[in-house]
Amino acid sequence: MGKYFIKRIFTALIVVLVVVGLNFVIIRLAPGDPATIMAGFDNPSEEFKAAITAKYNLDKPIPVQFITYLSRLVRGDLGESYYNNASVVSLIGERFGASLLLSGTSAVLAFVLGTSLGLVAGQRTGGIADRTFSTGAYICNSMPSFWLGMMLILVFASKLGWLPTQGMYDMRLGATGFARVVDVARHMVLPVATLTLIQIPAYFRITKSSVCQVLTDDYITTFRITGMSEGKIFRKYVLKNAILPVVTVFGINLAYVVSGSTLVETVFSWPGIGIMMFNAISNRDYNVLMGVYIILAVSVAAVMILVDLVYAKLDPRIHYE
Amino acid sequence: MKKKNFLTIFAGYVRISPKLLWGLVFFAVILLLAVLAPVLSPYDPYYLSDDLLAAPLTGGHLLGTTYMGEDVLSMILYGGRTSLKIGIIAAALSGAIGVVLGALAGFFGGIADKLLTEVTNIFLMIPSFFLILIVVAMFGSSMFNVMVIIALTSWPSNARMMRAQVMSLKERTYVKSAQTIGESKGRILFHYIVPNGIYPIIANTTMNVAQAILTEASLSFLGLGDPNVVSWGQMIMSGKSYLVNGWWISLFAGLAIMLVVIVFYMIGDGLNYAMNPKLQSRK
Repeated sequence: MGKYFIKRIFTALIVVLVVVGLNFVIIRLAPGDPATIMAGFDNPSEEFKAAITAKYNLDKPIPVQFITYLSRLVRGDLGESYYNNASVVSLIGERFGASLLLSGTSAVLAFVLGTSLGLVAGQRTGGIADRTFSTGAYICNSMPSFWLGMMLILVFASKLGWLPTQGMYDMRLGATGFARVVDVARHMVLPVATLTLIQIPAYFRITKSSVCQVLTDDYITTFRITGMSEGKIFRKYVLKNAILPVVTVFGINLAYVVSGSTLVETVFSWPGIGIMMFNAISNRDYNVLMGVYIILAVSVAAVMILVDLVYAKLDPRIHYE
Repeated sequence: MKKKNFLTIFAGYVRISPKLLWGLVFFAVILLLAVLAPVLSPYDPYYLSDDLLAAPLTGGHLLGTTYMGEDVLSMILYGGRTSLKIGIIAAALSGAIGVVLGALAGFFGGIADKLLTEVTNIFLMIPSFFLILIVVAMFGSSMFNVMVIIALTSWPSNARMMRAQVMSLKERTYVKSAQTIGESKGRILFHYIVPNGIYPIIANTTMNVAQAILTEASLSFLGLGDPNVVSWGQMIMSGKSYLVNGWWISLFAGLAIMLVVIVFYMIGDGLNYAMNPKLQSRK
């Protein structure tokens, strides 16, 4: 088992290294010289470009450049956003909380709702519940998240006026204490609903198909013949087995929490990492894009190892050799 | 043994799965609408009429107009061409790369296989939407760039499937017989094995078309769409500022995306269902 995890950690490191390498290569392949790209805005002055060239050894051979880039990353330096006059790390730090609140809440909600609906539908395939949920999942799966968000704004904020259209809190209200919690919660409803609805289909589909799978297994038939109650079969055997594959999806979605949701945060002007990405695109602030991408890759790689550990804990049949 | 050709097998699948049938019917309709866009559109999609933000069904504009007076229906018909082109070409390219690499790795095994398996594992763990976003932001948002980068990030799942198919098919008796009668390796692989194992990849590719259409729409929404074409994502983005007074701009463009994506999912799901006897017996 130890050997297996060392191999997994090794793969994860390679994944991160590939992402770093891709970033490195993309800057050099893209039209325009690397110093200008790293400056993050159009027409940087010659002195400015010279400073960046010196910082990243851009006048040295490619391997030296790569080592320089890598060693800066290892020290936790994701570069500067010259546009914002701040380091990428500090920019991410400032906005991480908002993204975590939004994406984290919806990740958990989607996990709970999607899995429960899948469990219900899987027990009686072809029933009314199954057909209703399946159609709903199909539709949610086919909608662009940003469009769904806009439609929710249109109906619930603009037309009905029940909820705020955008932002995280009402600036004019200036609420504190409990009133502020309520204010943020009200602002969260629509973006969380959007993200949750978009993520539900993945959980629903996997849970449903694994419930179907387990229910047709021979040992379940055996239990039924021996007269075990359906409730007990479901709780003790079906649920445990069906929930396993869901862990992977949940893990991956959690990993993506660090990058926020660019599309949904943009629609709702949510002050998180996602909208920072959107601004970085329009400002050509590439260091921000790449910094967030590297953090995301690290988090995905880490979560994959974590998911394996959880699997080993949950499923006694797994023996990693 | 009577040799079944591709169409006969496909027709068999269509009979088994009504979902596949309907998916194909709707796909034909959508394709027709896109091809006939110049004939069907009441206006040129770039024509700026005097009716600004006209509501649907007013002034001869079935789906209304934008803030610049462009006809929404005409834009949607032309936007369909963009979405289908990007979706289908990107997915087909990704399918082709996946089939060739997966087939070679599965057939020859050895170091090439190990290498490909590692590469696909790594690729499957790399967050692809961000990579696409960065590349398009830096290399320019032409349709060509968008298609190529989507293909280059989505082939690994196809390669993995093809590899598994080839590994199982190459042990079959008919392949052994082909070897015995002295067929060349290349011919055995691409004439006997790949055509028989390609259906799961076709199903996956139709799903990838849907994914690619959504990706293109998302890129356009973030301002990374090809500025020289009409696209649904760009329509939704431009309608964002007019959500209250011109809701029809975003609403109809989004519905169009949703319907096309559903149709491709139907085809993919239907194919998977028809190919998999286990799913059919489960009812």
